[in-house]
Amino acid sequence: MRRTFFSAVLFTCAALSGGAQPSYEAPPPPTGPVADASLRRADYFRRVDEVLDWAAGGGSAKTNDPAKLDLAMIAARIVRGRDLPGCSQRVIELMREPGTGPFWMFPSVCIAYLGRDRLSPEALASIRTAWRTTRQIRGDTENHFAMYYLSLYLMAELYPDEPADAWYTGRSSAENLAEARGYLVHWMDETTTVGQAEFNTTNYIGEYVIPLLFLANWAKDPAMRQRGHLMLDWFFAELAVSTLNGVLRGPNSRVDEGSVIERWQAMASYFSWLLFGHTPPTAGYSGWGLYFAPLAKNYEVPEVIYRIATDRPDGFLQRDRARVRRFWRYSDETSPPVYKTNYLRHDYAVGSTRGGRIDPLQSHVWDVTWAEPDPRGKHPTMFSLHPHAASEIIQASFVFYPEPMIKGVTFEGKPSYDSPDKVMGSSPYEQVFQDLDTVIALYAIPPDTRFPHINGFFSKDLAEVTEDASGWIFARGGRAYLAYRPLAPYRWETYRHYSSGWAKAPVELGGRLLTSPHLKNGTLVQAASTAEFRDLAAFKAAITALPLRFTLEPVPSVSLTTLRGKKIAFTYGQTPTVDGRAIDYGRWKLFEGPYLNAEVGGRKLTITHGRLERILDFNTLTITDRVQ
Amino acid sequence: MPAPRPVPLPTINAKRPAPAAGPTAAAPARRSPARARSCLGLLAGGLLASALGAATPPAYDFFVCANINRNYVVGSKIVTTNGVYRRDPAGAWHHLGANDTGITAVAFDPRDPRVTYTSALNGLWRSLDGGQHWRICNSWDMTEARDVAVDPQAPDHVYLALPDGIAVSTDRAETLVRRENGLPARGKYTQVLQVDRTRAGRVFAGCEAGVFLTEDGAQTWRCVLPTQETVYDLQQSPHDSRLWLAMTHRSGACRSTDGGLTWEKIAAVPSTYPLYNVTFDVTTAQRLALGSWALGVLTSEDGGRTWTDRNAGLPAAHHVWRVGIDPAGRLYASVAGETLFVSADFGRTWKPDALAGSQVNKFLLLPRPAP
Repeated sequence: MRRTFFSAVLFTCAALSGGAQPSYEAPPPPTGPVADASLRRADYFRRVDEVLDWAAGGGSAKTNDPAKLDLAMIAARIVRGRDLPGCSQRVIELMREPGTGPFWMFPSVCIAYLGRDRLSPEALASIRTAWRTTRQIRGDTENHFAMYYLSLYLMAELYPDEPADAWYTGRSSAENLAEARGYLVHWMDETTTVGQAEFNTTNYIGEYVIPLLFLANWAKDPAMRQRGHLMLDWFFAELAVSTLNGVLRGPNSRVDEGSVIERWQAMASYFSWLLFGHTPPTAGYSGWGLYFAPLAKNYEVPEVIYRIATDRPDGFLQRDRARVRRFWRYSDETSPPVYKTNYLRHDYAVGSTRGGRIDPLQSHVWDVTWAEPDPRGKHPTMFSLHPHAASEIIQASFVFYPEPMIKGVTFEGKPSYDSPDKVMGSSPYEQVFQDLDTVIALYAIPPDTRFPHINGFFSKDLAEVTEDASGWIFARGGRAYLAYRPLAPYRWETYRHYSSGWAKAPVELGGRLLTSPHLKNGTLVQAASTAEFRDLAAFKAAITALPLRFTLEPVPSVSLTTLRGKKIAFTYGQTPTVDGRAIDYGRWKLFEGPYLNAEVGGRKLTITHGRLERILDFNTLTITDRVQ
Repeated sequence: MPAPRPVPLPTINAKRPAPAAGPTAAAPARRSPARARSCLGLLAGGLLASALGAATPPAYDFFVCANINRNYVVGSKIVTTNGVYRRDPAGAWHHLGANDTGITAVAFDPRDPRVTYTSALNGLWRSLDGGQHWRICNSWDMTEARDVAVDPQAPDHVYLALPDGIAVSTDRAETLVRRENGLPARGKYTQVLQVDRTRAGRVFAGCEAGVFLTEDGAQTWRCVLPTQETVYDLQQSPHDSRLWLAMTHRSGACRSTDGGLTWEKIAAVPSTYPLYNVTFDVTTAQRLALGSWALGVLTSEDGGRTWTDRNAGLPAAHHVWRVGIDPAGRLYASVAGETLFVSADFGRTWKPDALAGSQVNKFLLLPRPAP
């Protein structure tokens, strides 16, 4: 039986009860590229139509009763031209109790624009009235601000020249437009020079690309339309390069209870399916994903990005930079850089950041994941972490009082936050180094720390798990061999899973936790393709023959010659070395790899695949395509 | 901008207002913004009329800023009426202004109480008409405002506490600029602002790195009390303008008797737990109360020399957001996950009040101008 996990995204909770979704129910699609551009376009349009048909047909409500339509269903019906009077009536009803923040703003913008010449004047007026009378809360995260200002920008353009008292902000249309534009240009500038704080999110990608699609289509200002288009390409290029068979891999600034282990169960997978067609869509098309469909046919992912997602040689290394969500306090820096490494092969992927504090609640620091023919219900991942929970960490990024904070967040979509067996989050006491498909994670946990132990996740989907006398644990995940070396004694515990952000209690889905209570600790993982070895025994022999020295005192320190012949040395608190050379993180670019390249501060991304090249240049607001 | 014409503060009729005049907070209910404004209009009209006829109006008005929507996260539905409430002498709470879960503080222009400021998640909101219309005053680069204060000696000057510093307006929030000269590059997370009521431009800021003082309208700041972590509250005694109290995260409670220039620790108050706020009793100079999540309610009736645990009668966990004392000397405690509690005998006994489920971010005792 397929297991599905709720995303932390509220809308998804409703969407999961949806009716039949052809691609969701169907066998997994082929992962390779469709060479013919017209066929590729036809496939894309067919997927878009599938979403629109599902939503227009009642979506999660599974009904044609207009009284049960939500704004996503209404959007689809407007596109389909179906029961427009009923849609108008329902909009009027919904606007009697408008929402109060960015998650309501962009759907209402969608209806306001789609319905311009379709809905009744009364329905359109009801939306306009809501934007006058109901205070909208801007929120406190990067995705909140993006949704808020993209929505405010478009509404201010839709209703220009209106006075201050015509808006909940108390500002005129022109003031709202200037304010929104100011933020959006600033945000795009930051993203294209030092990277996002919410990088590689499993679910929040929708909160960015959906309103960006609106901007790319509906903005009157051609410069802002172009900015929308550039940002869409930017986001989807990063999605393409960070996915294997459509499933997001490696570290995430924000993940959720489900997608941290069932890696496919993420809105990122919905966009992979929609744009690239090489993984199944998520249940209910991830809820919010419905809002992309009405305009999706106006945006087609460029071939160079499509090829990166679907047509790659076996093995490439991508090293990028991002940044930490702002620290208001308890830090010497506001937004320190994040250094990301992703090594992706056909059978598996290895990804990491350097550890330390990232997002206060939902980071995923490193993992080894493997390809599954059908990713649905699978937990194809292996990693370890220190399950850190501290009000000081949350206080650094939020403005709440300290003591109720930890318990508070467990009621607000992060139920495992204060659980000793959690598998989500970053820790100031974890440091990570990755070279290709080798990861070393070291831990130096102060004795008085809440949850003074580390957890290693061992999936139910691992095969041939063997605890070897050498101290290594061997296993096979799909077509990947995995070697996991705990650096301190451990015990096994049953993995308990929160099946949604709002789950009251954990359930057992299979899988185990390797729990080690030693404060000085570490994990080594080496991955390889099964095709590289005759069998698991041969892989074991190769791993146990690797020169390995480690100590845990006074701080954890490892010297290892990897399966790829690299001599790496990594000591907690020190810069790692490879073949005697220290890693110079200061020289890392914003993107660096065979497919994506950008300089820090450059505002320009070069996307390359084979002879294809596209340059997104925010300095000139141009897109340049070349065939070399 | 010309100074606005002084207008007496609105007062509340001693009788409980009829239900039609606006919702009281015993059972806060969701309502439409349009209706909220209508209620405000009625309330303001009633208040002004009442002011004209009141025989002996109290010297203070009493407000709370409360988030009543439990477990609200951005994106979830707001199902209760949140924000600023004002208590009338009969004990009813009346909602003022916008339904906003993120309001942290409220301040008024002493010349014209219709000029209202609230700090909130979005930043700073201002109303010029008693809450009927609001304007967001800050740009996108100011967010999650923690506190707002108006200088009573220079009422065009508005101070805004931000998680990354302090912003100031000299034109009733028409424009806001950052004024952080003297604040540390890191450590300027600002939780609370308190203006010295006796001298224009003299303002204290409770920051992550300590208490900072400006005496020139925020042109320059200097540290007068370094602390290990955030200063959560600052209060000036209504009885002695030189007496100030500071509540901190890990540095305990501190007192200054020279107008905030030097500070000493109050030994009788434990410093092992964060202290969220402190309040003076305007009716009795020696009475103080403080609120803390870990300690609940502590009171002093000898000017802070000794403190007594006053949690008997409060729900068992007695996790207290804040305490407040109204103009009649009644003590209030905002208890997490519970309702507001009130004590007529300064904490010896308690009974439930209104605002069920609320988190009070601020109690405000606002002096009324002389008639």
